[in-house]
Amino acid sequence: MYPFWEVPHLTSGLIIAMIASFHILPSHLATGAFWFMAYIEGKAINDNRPELFAFLKRFSLFILVFCFVIGSLTGVGIWFSATVASPRAISGLIHNYVWGWATEWVFFLIEIATIYAYYYTFGKVPPRTHRRIGLIYAWGAWMSMVIITGILGFMLSSDKWIETGSFFDGFFNSTYWPQLAFRTAGMIAIASVYAIIVAASLEKGKVRYEIIRKAGAWGLCALAAGALFATWYLNALPDNSKELIFQDMIPPLKTMLHVAIGAAVAVAVYFLLFGVVRPQLACRSFGIVMMLVLLAGIGAGEGLREGCRRPYIINQYMYGNQVVARDLEAKKVKGEVEFFQEHGLTSRLLFFPDQLRIFPEEHLAKAGRIIALHQCGNCHTMDQKGIRPLPGLLANLGLEDAESIADFLDALGEYPFMPPFAANEDEKRATAAYLATLIPAGE
Amino acid sequence: MNIIDVVQYVQAMRDPAGLPFYPLVFQFLMVLTFALHIMFVNFVVGGITLALWGRMSGDPKALRLSKALARASTVNLSIAIVLAVAPLLFVQVIYDPFWYTANTMSAVWAMAFLIAVTAAFYCLYLFYLGGKKESRNGNPFWLVLALAAAGLAGYIIHSLTMEQLLADQWQDLVVKGLDVDTSGTVLAGFSLPRILHFIIPSFAISGIFLMIYAWYFRGRSDYPEDYIDFAARLGGWLALWATVAQAAVGVWWLISLPSKFNFLSNPFFLAGATSGLVLLGLLVAAKSDPIKWAPRAMGMAFVTLFLMSYAREALRSLYAEKVGYSIFDYKLNVDWGSTILFLATFLGGLVVLAYPAVVAYHAGKSDAPLTEEPAEGLGKVAYALTIIWFVVVAGLGIFISMKNGTLF
Repeated sequence: MYPFWEVPHLTSGLIIAMIASFHILPSHLATGAFWFMAYIEGKAINDNRPELFAFLKRFSLFILVFCFVIGSLTGVGIWFSATVASPRAISGLIHNYVWGWATEWVFFLIEIATIYAYYYTFGKVPPRTHRRIGLIYAWGAWMSMVIITGILGFMLSSDKWIETGSFFDGFFNSTYWPQLAFRTAGMIAIASVYAIIVAASLEKGKVRYEIIRKAGAWGLCALAAGALFATWYLNALPDNSKELIFQDMIPPLKTMLHVAIGAAVAVAVYFLLFGVVRPQLACRSFGIVMMLVLLAGIGAGEGLREGCRRPYIINQYMYGNQVVARDLEAKKVKGEVEFFQEHGLTSRLLFFPDQLRIFPEEHLAKAGRIIALHQCGNCHTMDQKGIRPLPGLLANLGLEDAESIADFLDALGEYPFMPPFAANEDEKRATAAYLATLIPAGE
Repeated sequence: MNIIDVVQYVQAMRDPAGLPFYPLVFQFLMVLTFALHIMFVNFVVGGITLALWGRMSGDPKALRLSKALARASTVNLSIAIVLAVAPLLFVQVIYDPFWYTANTMSAVWAMAFLIAVTAAFYCLYLFYLGGKKESRNGNPFWLVLALAAAGLAGYIIHSLTMEQLLADQWQDLVVKGLDVDTSGTVLAGFSLPRILHFIIPSFAISGIFLMIYAWYFRGRSDYPEDYIDFAARLGGWLALWATVAQAAVGVWWLISLPSKFNFLSNPFFLAGATSGLVLLGLLVAAKSDPIKWAPRAMGMAFVTLFLMSYAREALRSLYAEKVGYSIFDYKLNVDWGSTILFLATFLGGLVVLAYPAVVAYHAGKSDAPLTEEPAEGLGKVAYALTIIWFVVVAGLGIFISMKNGTLF
């Protein structure tokens, strides 16, 4: 096992979630915005309306300096954070989907070449050339979504891959199509809010109201379609994910679903009232507020996607604590739970004091801390407060001593959202001894 | 009692799924894309430094160059970020035990690296914005900050790379007596000649960038001849002397390496060094007319960067061998379908990329807006290729989803 990075109160898993949720905003905006741009530019060319170009230039600048740069950096940030928080999981994904990511990278190159060419050739090349470059960007950016959705979907529903190990069987999984459709609708909705914000900075008049009205209509249609796709998406989830959400096994998941729906409804009302019906009322500051509402909805939606695949980080293949859950015959991979239960997690732990390998009674809790971090620390903080704090959880379960905790660890795999405890008897004893020290006195 | 040593560890931590294609291909792609990435990093580091120098000097030509370099550096930095994705991906495929170990033990620094790069971009951009109007100049403070942020990012990534090479020290860095350091704050590796070998080429490559800048903009009415001549000569001078300094640092680095590596006789090193000497000769010849020699110098500089990157990779493999690791005995699970998907996309992507490049080239070369569509045929092909790609992949996806019952 790799060295463990402990993030007090937050857990390293939350660091990935924070970066990943934020990444959605610039990346989906950068992906969706140019479809609206291509539409407006088409109107500017076909109807001979050069006044629309002022909007287009302003619209594309922010995409370039914020969305593209922050989108790329947070994209790389997800990799880095996954590397330091769940190295075996990102390794598992990369060793199966390296060519998928490399293909996506080709589209990143197309995006950066076209977005710079687009921005810096405003008014310097014939309009049709300019629009074609914008359209290539729009397609290229959306292709990057077409690819990454396959890998995200695979983590949620690995389906046939678990039998065949084939790239495409895992890629075109049961949540792929609805997720792609849903994300596509989402990117248009984000782009529409952004278009309203930019248009609201234009001088009051016909052009401003026309663009706001069109953006409102685009956004409203996108959210209506998104509602249908979301239903399809939720319906396509694996059974265990549905149970976690809808049978209240993990109540916060339903809350996240409600937050996501609430945010979408609020933004839909905004599109209708401030976009389609009364574009004169739209202003930048309220648009930015609505973008933040959308961001909250995205965060909740992504949290739901992450949460409902528990206990796995890669559906059916790898648990959240980075232990391989089962054999994958097609790739000659052996499940690790039984191996660790028999031979011990420490058989793969280089970063473990040699003096503790005999689990001396006087340092049992010290040894147990390391095992506990590897087994539980990706999702639970060991602090009294924070993300799913183990001290409080153990106290709530009425566990008071090392013996009862050890029995609980034995039964972990019976919870539908928890991985089995993958360590041998000595390691379990040490972990229980450590966890017993965390329980607040008097509870 | 379980005992595991670092040799067993690096074998055990290899991904159980194996590689989806032959390691030589991943290694080649890693080196190629790294060389492209580092070229743009060199443009940025040299560009920011020169922009700062130009801003501080009183010479109007240097000031104009400073503004041009600040603008170019924002573009170059974003290109460098995107280019970084590929080598970052491939190194995780073939050197996963090394990459993940170093990064997790230095997790806080890995996160700080991202913040530093972001800060560098926006400081640079603020300087550029400040001087966007001809009558105004950007505040040099932003450039100092940008340089400091870029320097921090460079230091972190250098240390993370060094840590990957020092596998025999890993345990001592993390395990302290009976305690294990889980703070992610370890930052241990540093080699002065090695990091200088990355910094000094920034000036050589940026010098050649200036030569190319002069070559490209010569003849445009808004670029006076004396300004073009200034940029070209400054570039040629900088490229030549930075390359000489680079050769000296290279020797120093060579001496600092473990003698048992015998790196002096390593064919990859010899190829890189030979290429560097050819570049040096070319830059000497370019002294009389830097503009004429600019494209050749840039081509040779990239060849040198590529070969030097391969030499660096050969060095990494020697360090890995010390703990019994070779990428060439990694378990294989060849997946032809996804390999073909990438290779076909890559080749098609080059055609698509050529279009905005050609358009931008013609638009920038001309004083007046273009009235004729440049490379219209190429544009139509490029646009069609992106749509064809989607149709083919979507068709394949629908077929597979129907076959597997995962469509609805």
